[in-house]
Amino acid sequence: MKTPREIFLARHRAAEPKLNQIREAALSAMQERPAANSAAPGPAWRRVVSSLGDWLAVPWRELILSSRRVWTGLVVVWAVIIVVNVAQRDPGTHIHGSTANAPVMMASWREEQRLMNELLADRVTPPAADRPANSAPRPRTQRFGMAAA
Amino acid sequence: MLQVLAPEPLPVAQARAGEPAAWDALFQRYQLPLYVFIYELIRDEQASLDLVQETFLAAFRHLRGLREDAKFGSWLFGIAHQKCIQRWRKRTEVLLDEIPEAADAFEDAPDELVIRREQEAAFMNLVQQLPPPQRAVLLLHFLEDFPLDEIARITETPLGTVKSRLHYAKHSLRKLLEASNENAA
Repeated sequence: MKTPREIFLARHRAAEPKLNQIREAALSAMQERPAANSAAPGPAWRRVVSSLGDWLAVPWRELILSSRRVWTGLVVVWAVIIVVNVAQRDPGTHIHGSTANAPVMMASWREEQRLMNELLADRVTPPAADRPANSAPRPRTQRFGMAAA
Repeated sequence: MLQVLAPEPLPVAQARAGEPAAWDALFQRYQLPLYVFIYELIRDEQASLDLVQETFLAAFRHLRGLREDAKFGSWLFGIAHQKCIQRWRKRTEVLLDEIPEAADAFEDAPDELVIRREQEAAFMNLVQQLPPPQRAVLLLHFLEDFPLDEIARITETPLGTVKSRLHYAKHSLRKLLEASNENAA
């Protein structure tokens, strides 16, 4: 009885001499250009960009990439809506209609303005009969005295 | 008394410092599993050897980008997987074979599946019949026992897709082994 790993490794064990050669060739190639991989971790901005990329990779993979067909469908639907909306808009008619209605709107606005002025004028100068007789504030003691009398 | 030894830490920090012995140890540790993974995906011996070498050189060039030393293995397999995809694209082989997500996923360890000697050929044959994406997930699971999230990172696929691929691949294997057992009995 073997595990799948043992079966896989046993099947390809014969390739090990070639793999050893490849390893040695790769190591000698690395030693020829050691400057390519220095121990320094690189500038800070590069590390920030790298970590930001890693951080965004997960939502990209889980949210966007997994439902890419849905997202593509939504993009197509929105594109169609925008195209239809733009195609149905007739800028000449719109401007003409608004200019035709302008005198009526201006007359209506002037009428409203006139009514508003009348109302405000009434409030600014109320008739003398409507004013309270004793509107000036008095001390509490005087008010109590008046109430008792 | 049976003692479980902790796995020896990989000399990634030393490799980053440029020590050839550390690189040698790392490559020696991964050369065969990496070769098996690549070979079982592309089925071409010479191309597999070339890709192993390319993976080693790419690892040397880009080790600076690896932040967690403990994930060196999955990072290396991720490079190899990318190389396989590039090769598939060149050969215009159909890579994607999407399957619906499974409601449940296998969480058992790869060691729980054991295969008798007379089942080995059938097992290898079945692995070859799996679509490449399922095969890649199964190989990563069997060869290095990577957790599902690391397999998702290596293959750049969503976690749910990895679960479903592993589910269907293992389901097919179990059916094969059960049928083989019934025939033997």
